[in-house]
Amino acid sequence: MSIMEYNGGSVIAMVGKDCVAIASDLRLGNQALGISSNFQKIFPVTDRIYLGLPGLATDVTTLREVFRFRVNMYTIKEEREIEPETFAHLVSSTLYERRFGPYFIEPVMAGLSKVATGGFKPFIAATDLIGCLNFAKDFVVAGTASSKLYGAAEGLWEPDLEPEQLFETISQTMLNAVDRDAYSGWGVVVHVIEKDKITTRTLKGRMD
Amino acid sequence: METSFAITGKDYIIVAADTTAARSIVKMKTDDDKIKVVSPHLLMSYSGEPGDTIQFSEFVERNLRLFHIRNNYSLRPSAAASWIRRSLAQSLRSRKPYSVNLMLSGYDVTTDTPHLFWIDYLGTMTEVPFGAHGYGSYFALSLLDRYHNPEATLEEGIETLKRCIDEVAKRLIVSPGKYIVKVVDKDGTRVIEI
Amino acid sequence: MIVSKIRQCVHIAAISNRHNNLTVVEKLGRTTIFSPEGKHFEYAMEAISHAGTVLGVLAKDGVVLAAEKKVTGKLLDLSGAKEGGYGGSGEKIFLLNSNVIGGVAGLTADANSLINYARSAAQQHLLAYNEDIPVELLAQRLCDMKQSYTQYGGLRPFGASLLYAGYDQQYQFQLYHSDPSGNYSGWKATCIGANNGTAQSLLKQEYKDDIEVKAAISLVLKTMSKTMDSTTLGSEKLEFAVITLDPETKLPKAKIYRPDEIDELLQAEGLGKKEEDDAMKS
Repeated sequence: MSIMEYNGGSVIAMVGKDCVAIASDLRLGNQALGISSNFQKIFPVTDRIYLGLPGLATDVTTLREVFRFRVNMYTIKEEREIEPETFAHLVSSTLYERRFGPYFIEPVMAGLSKVATGGFKPFIAATDLIGCLNFAKDFVVAGTASSKLYGAAEGLWEPDLEPEQLFETISQTMLNAVDRDAYSGWGVVVHVIEKDKITTRTLKGRMD
Repeated sequence: METSFAITGKDYIIVAADTTAARSIVKMKTDDDKIKVVSPHLLMSYSGEPGDTIQFSEFVERNLRLFHIRNNYSLRPSAAASWIRRSLAQSLRSRKPYSVNLMLSGYDVTTDTPHLFWIDYLGTMTEVPFGAHGYGSYFALSLLDRYHNPEATLEEGIETLKRCIDEVAKRLIVSPGKYIVKVVDKDGTRVIEI
Repeated sequence: MIVSKIRQCVHIAAISNRHNNLTVVEKLGRTTIFSPEGKHFEYAMEAISHAGTVLGVLAKDGVVLAAEKKVTGKLLDLSGAKEGGYGGSGEKIFLLNSNVIGGVAGLTADANSLINYARSAAQQHLLAYNEDIPVELLAQRLCDMKQSYTQYGGLRPFGASLLYAGYDQQYQFQLYHSDPSGNYSGWKATCIGANNGTAQSLLKQEYKDDIEVKAAISLVLKTMSKTMDSTTLGSEKLEFAVITLDPETKLPKAKIYRPDEIDELLQAEGLGKKEEDDAMKS
C-alpha cells in the first residue's frame, strides 16, 4: 500500500494558444472504498494561476491552506498578484522545507504569465513530492493515473490549440485515462484559463 | 468493529453509532455513547483507538467551549471542522498521532443549513451528504447511494437509517446489537429512539 | 542549587535598587517594574500625539478611515502608489486582511512591525479556522503582543496606536482603537494622533447613530479639513479608505483609495484644491 495511492486521484495541465487548461478527477477514496465524488483537488491561487494537488487527501487540504497563507502574505506586502513562475518556486521551496518528512503530493500548476509587452504567455509546471520543478512546454501529469495520462496526452496533444479545442483534448485525455485507473474517476472537472476569462466545466464520465 | 453512520436531511442530521465497547473477544460495555455533543449545535461521532478517542473528543469539546467563553459565540460547523482537521493533521506527524476517525454533524445557525463532515485519523476531510465509519461503511454507503434523499423529513431519514442498521446486522460477522441515535437541527441536539 | 542562588541575588539587587536615589535613565531602564509615574506610556503617547492624525467613523453599512500624511514633498517617489493593487502610500493606512483595514499613528517603524504581525495573525487564524479573523480577535492578538512588551523581556513598548476598521459575520462593521499599553476599546467614531482632542469633540457633536457610509465619508473629510495643518486638502497629504459589504457576494470589500480617487472624492465634497492652488501641476 503506497501512501501516494491511499486516496487516489489525478491531475493534468496542458498548454494551448494563449490559454492553458487544468483538469482533475473528483474521487476521494479510502483505498478501494469510495468516500466522496466531490473532492476538489484544483484550487485558484490568483485570477490567472490554478494549482492542482493530487496525492494524500489530508496533505491536499493542508497544502492548499499553506499556499493560501503564503500567497495572501505575498499579495498584501507586494501589493500585486504573484506571477506563475514565482509561485512555482514558492511551491518548490515549501515542499523542500519538508525534505525529510514530505507532504505526499505532486503539485501541478497552470497559469498565464505577464510578458513585458503587456500580453500573456501560457505557463505550466509540476513538481515531485520534494519540490523538484518541471517546466514542460506541452503538458504535465500527476496522480495514480499518471502513466495512463502520459499515454493519452502524448497521443492527443498538439501545439497551438484554441481554447475550445484544448478543452476537448484535455477532456478526452482525462476521461479515457481515469477509466483505466481504479483509483481515479468518479467525475472530472476542467478549467480553461484565458487572459480575460476562466471556464469551468464538470464532465459526465463513468461513475464506476 | 465500531460502526457509525450519519445522514443529512432537509434541515437536520441524524447520527447513529453502535454502543458496544469491546476488547478482543469480550464486550466490556453495551451502552457506550460514542457521539459527543461538542457544542450546542455540533455532534461528533468518533471511533478508533480506545483512549485516543475519549482524549481527542474531550480535547475538541473543551477547546470549542473555550472559544465560546472567550468570544461569546460558537464556532460555525465549517470553522470547527477546519480546526479539528488541522489538529489531526498536526498530530499525524507528531511523536504519537491520535488514531481517531470522526464524523462531525453540525447545524449552522447563521445560514440555517446542516453540514456533515467525514474526517479520518490522517486529517482527511470532506463534506458529504451521508457518511459512515468502520466495517459497517462497506454495507451502508451503497445503500445510502440508492436510498438517500437530501430533502427527506426526519421520519423518512430514520427509515433510511434503519435500512443501514438492518443490513449491517444481517451481514457483518460480529454485528453491533444496539445503536445510540442523535439528531442535530436548529433547536440543538437530542437523543431519539428508533 | 547554583541557579536558584543566582536568581536570589538578582532579586535582592532589584529590590535594593528601587529604594536608591537613581538617575532618570536608570529609573526608567527597566520596563518590567511598575513606575509610579507611568513614564513609559507617557513617552509613547507623546510620540503618538505628534504623529499624523488618523480618524475613523463607523456607519451602519460601512467604516471610513482617513489619515494625514506627515512624510510629504516633491522629491518623494510615490510611483508605486499610482498603479498598485492595494493603494496607500504605505505610511498610515494598510490592508491587514480582506476584511480589516488598519490605520497607524506614532513611530512608523514600530507601526510597520505591528502591521506585519497583524497580517500574519490574520493568516494564522485563516489557517486554523478557514474563515476570516473576526475584527475584535485581531485587535486582541495585537494587544496581547503589545502588553507582553510592557511586562516581559525588558524591551520598550511599541510607540504606535492603531485603529482597526473591519467587518465580520458576527458583529458586522466595527471600529477599534488600541494603544501602546495593549488596551483596546470599540468606538463609533474616534481619532488618534495630532489634534485628536479637537477632532474627537467635533465628531461627538456631529455623529449620528444611524449614519450611512456616504454621510460618514463627508463627516470624516469635513473633520479632517478642520484638524489638519494645511488649509486645503489634497491627495498628497491625505490617505483614505472605506470598508463596505459587496451587495451581491455579501463579502466585505476593503478599498484603500488611490491618490487620483482621493482627489475626485474631495472635488465631489467641495473640499478639493481650486485650479490656481494646484502646485503639483507642472
